Amino acid sequence: MSLDSQPPAAGPQVGADEWVARQAHRREYLPSWLGTGQRWLERVGWWPKLLVVGLAGAALPLLGLGGFQLQVGIDALVIALLAVGLNIVVGWAGLLDLGYVAFFGFGAYGFALLSSSQIGPNGIHLPTYLSVPIVMIGAAVLGLLVGWPSRRLIGDYLAIVTLFFGEAFVEFTNNVAPSVLGGPNGIVGIDPISVFGRQITTNAGYYYLLVVVLVLTMAVLRLLDTSRTGRAWRAVREDPLAAASMTIPVNRVKLMAFMFGAVVAALTGTIFAAQQISVFPTDFDTPILILIYAGLILGGAGSIAGAAAGALVLMVIYDGLLRSPTDSGYLFYGLILLTLVVKLRPWRRLAVVLAATVALGFAAHAVAGAISARAVAGGPHSTGWLAAALRDWVVVPANAQVLGNWGYVLLVCLLIALVQVGRRWRTILLPPTICLASFVWETRLAVEPAITRQLMIGAILIVMMNARPQGLLGSRRVEAIT
Amino acid sequence: MAFFFQELVNGITTGALYALVALGFTMVYGVLKLLNFAHGDLYMIGAYIGFFVIQWFGGPNALTIPVPLLLVIMFVLAAGLVGGLGVAIERFAYRPLRDAPRIAPLITAIGISFFLENSALLLFGAQPRIYNTPQFISFSSGIQIGSVSIDAVQILVLVLGLVLMVGLRLLVNRTKVGRQMRAVAADREAAEMLGINVNFTIAATFFIGSALAGVAGVMGGLLFNQVTATIGFIAGLKAFTAAVVGGIGSIPGAVLGGLLLGVAESFITGYISSTFTNLFVFALLIAVMLVRPSGLLGRAQLQKV
Amino acid sequence: MKGRSAIIAATALGALVAAGCGSSGSSSNAGGTATKSCVATIGMEGPLTGPVAFLGQEQLHFAQLAVARDNLANKTKISLTQGDTQLNPAQATTVTQQFTSNSKIVAVVGPAGSQEVQAVGPLMARAGLAFVSGSATAAALTTGKYPTFFRTVSKDSVQGPQDANYIVNNLHPKALMIVDDQEAYSTGLVSVMVPIFKAAGIKVDHQSVSQKVTDFSSLVAKVTPDTTVVVLPWQVAANAQQFGRNLAQQNKKALIFGTDGLYDPKSFTIKGSYVSSFGPDITAIPADAPIAAAAKAKYGSFGTFGPPTFAATHVVDEAIAAVCKSGQTPSRANVLAQIKKTNQPATILGQPIKFDSNGDLVNGKFFLFKINSAGKYQLIPSG
Repeated sequence: MSLDSQPPAAGPQVGADEWVARQAHRREYLPSWLGTGQRWLERVGWWPKLLVVGLAGAALPLLGLGGFQLQVGIDALVIALLAVGLNIVVGWAGLLDLGYVAFFGFGAYGFALLSSSQIGPNGIHLPTYLSVPIVMIGAAVLGLLVGWPSRRLIGDYLAIVTLFFGEAFVEFTNNVAPSVLGGPNGIVGIDPISVFGRQITTNAGYYYLLVVVLVLTMAVLRLLDTSRTGRAWRAVREDPLAAASMTIPVNRVKLMAFMFGAVVAALTGTIFAAQQISVFPTDFDTPILILIYAGLILGGAGSIAGAAAGALVLMVIYDGLLRSPTDSGYLFYGLILLTLVVKLRPWRRLAVVLAATVALGFAAHAVAGAISARAVAGGPHSTGWLAAALRDWVVVPANAQVLGNWGYVLLVCLLIALVQVGRRWRTILLPPTICLASFVWETRLAVEPAITRQLMIGAILIVMMNARPQGLLGSRRVEAIT
Repeated sequence: MAFFFQELVNGITTGALYALVALGFTMVYGVLKLLNFAHGDLYMIGAYIGFFVIQWFGGPNALTIPVPLLLVIMFVLAAGLVGGLGVAIERFAYRPLRDAPRIAPLITAIGISFFLENSALLLFGAQPRIYNTPQFISFSSGIQIGSVSIDAVQILVLVLGLVLMVGLRLLVNRTKVGRQMRAVAADREAAEMLGINVNFTIAATFFIGSALAGVAGVMGGLLFNQVTATIGFIAGLKAFTAAVVGGIGSIPGAVLGGLLLGVAESFITGYISSTFTNLFVFALLIAVMLVRPSGLLGRAQLQKV
Repeated sequence: MKGRSAIIAATALGALVAAGCGSSGSSSNAGGTATKSCVATIGMEGPLTGPVAFLGQEQLHFAQLAVARDNLANKTKISLTQGDTQLNPAQATTVTQQFTSNSKIVAVVGPAGSQEVQAVGPLMARAGLAFVSGSATAAALTTGKYPTFFRTVSKDSVQGPQDANYIVNNLHPKALMIVDDQEAYSTGLVSVMVPIFKAAGIKVDHQSVSQKVTDFSSLVAKVTPDTTVVVLPWQVAANAQQFGRNLAQQNKKALIFGTDGLYDPKSFTIKGSYVSSFGPDITAIPADAPIAAAAKAKYGSFGTFGPPTFAATHVVDEAIAAVCKSGQTPSRANVLAQIKKTNQPATILGQPIKFDSNGDLVNGKFFLFKINSAGKYQLIPSG
């Protein structure tokens, strides 16, 4: 979705494939010193980059992160690990697995059962070095079982069967054997994970543990990627029939993908269970699956770094920034400004639009205030310096709910119209649209931060996929549509 | 025996509803190979539109127009508005991604689903909206065969569902637009080269599919009486299940899948267990998929080399 | 094109990080203006979006109403920060971390679900933050594990036997069906009620449906002719209404006995049904008339989940006001201590509010209603 009226960059490149795409990419370096930096980065091996990023991540808490930010970091790292694992199944082997979150739950519940007082009179409290490997092996077996239908099912049919497994897991843990599995009340009182004899009980501890585990997993997977198995996965993804004629055991390769993905998810599950100290069936329902997929695809399916980066960015925004109404406001206005700056060329057009917006806002406020004092009685609901800046610019009536709702509907219609119309009309429509957007924000969206958070993440997903369908770190490649 | 028939009637009714939503889902998949996860939310919006129409004409206790007229207005308005919304979504969000890897539009669809669901929450509030159908369509207007009772609303759902399914089949097989849809579904580039206006055809497909979802939403409101912003999620899931089990891309398959799902749920609840209904339904459907890996009526997948 | 996107992404991320750093710093210094008036912030966690949004939004609205009224009455400046948990314990943990890290927050209202309380209880205890729930009814929550937990509703182990005994003694069913909705609230009540029924020699058919199910015709078809009572300890009143419709449609003569979740004069109106609620009908309590009117004017209809959260918020507001009146600045420790000493003789719930040493409401009353032929809720006097 581009605000310019030029056609989108080249349609299907017939005959192009991943290798060719990489050659094309080689000619697309940034100009001058940025290009030199890019080329240097490419020459450096992957493990120094991973190490540097990992150290940076581990050093973050030292900057003085509070409990909330550490929790957001932990949530983000958990989803990043899951995305990296899902990348094996979806990105490398090309199998649409909609039940992935069941492996995550299996790992968590398995660890919970083995490390709490749930089973037996005093419970099995296995030490970490026993319970985690047992859970991981169990998950591999489960991955084998779930992957079994993939021998006959392809594409969307596999997707639905895996979806069933995912739903069945939640139903199972919620309703079957409540005395053992805890039913809807889950399992409470899980032992912490101990590494090298030391128990990890603080959020900071789990954060570091997750950073280490993520870095190690990414390294192991990278090694796997460049091995025969990785190449086999990619071959199966591109064209299973051709791969089979090249003597790649397609079924075995698919099963291995499921198993590896399951093991990574189960490992993440154990850490999750230990950090939360409790597990409930609703922790492993579809919303988490959606987050993992969104993170994976936003970052670029098929790339380990992309999966992790996409998940981290998504979770930091969704779970961290958007939970704070002030930050949501900054993000909202910031994104509007950013879109304008990026999409409006030449500079003169940008300046005209901005000036018109500002003028229109003040004018509307003055006119509305002159007509009726009640029309501007409500103040902007943003907090911080935004409220002061906007007070005389945006019109906020005293009882704005109904008006705000209609404004919202009008705003959505205007946005759809903006995409369709030509350049001149777009320039004319932009200032009123921006004023209206601010109006809707101040009257309705800032008042309901919980709903706004969901709306904004939905909008971000839509815009990001339109702007960059291959994901942040993915590469443009053409897929054969079967 | 009466119990059997009662469960059968219940199952076929809900199955017809699932089939209608699955039809739209499968049609969109046919032309775009896109799993439209926002489809269920179109159902939800249709249900809200039906509710507001009832409110506009005086509310369930004091209707100002006769019931048949009310029903016609509800269905037509829901079909039109939701159809239009579907076309707008396609133009706005899916068209730019038409040539992107297949997995990208999935996330856009998820984004649209979030957006629609929470817009409904913002605009209409969180309190469930009640249709209160028995106020204007009383139970006594159903039919009673022995001890099996069929409600008037159920009859409406069955009849209208049948009409719509037959109409859709005629549309797809006998009209020019239908031919164009089948052509685009088979091979989009070839269709374009033959002079078919692909954009218009895809827009028409979306319109019809979304309109069906909207009508299904009104029916759902009449049958189940409550509308909240989150009913779309479950409806979408059922549509997805029914469409894939029946063979995705196949219109009779969607109908068969929907009916199978409804009847399976009904009988398993009635005869086996209501606690584990979903588990047994899943097991049954997995068995079906293993026996017929391309769905009940799906075409065996050709693998191109 | 690709390079520009990289720059854009980098700039955007940089802006976000800057915003994030900016706000994390400002949360501690803004609002520190020490004035003579009583300034404090309280948190509210609940399912504000998601499948049970109607519940959380109702609780939020009543909490906001309570804060507004108490600020006027006590001349305090209490502000409410909301956190969305979607009834998910993992999200409740994140929201709770957000609250505990925010030094301005001195007490919390919520969370709504018993599972969430179990997930966040240790965190709250470690932070010394008091949290008062208006809807978490599991008995296990007040066994001393969560020292900063309070609730303004009675627990399942009290409500369950009370209702079960009423059914046995007053309705005399020969056979009944009891259906849970696979949530902790429901299964807790069922596990307490079923033994009482069985001990009285009643034939019990225990069914279970997911909360996501909205059509019960298949389940209703299983209701046998000699089943005279169907017990529905559900959270979603509209589902129970549909169940009642299916009963009428299939000419089943059983009546419905429901618990708190079914109390919704707008959604659940099946004639002849009984509803046992932990909250009274505040529209029938004269002292609550202004609150009920304000709630209806601003938010439309409401059910049973709002008033206990109003009561919980009121408890917190009064505690903060008392702390200020004694000359101290509200902090987590002194607000917690004050809440423990809560003794309100008259509240929105029509009964006094006092907490025992475990945080339970002392002498929590249950109110039994019967829906008459006009669809109105009539209180059945106890005794």
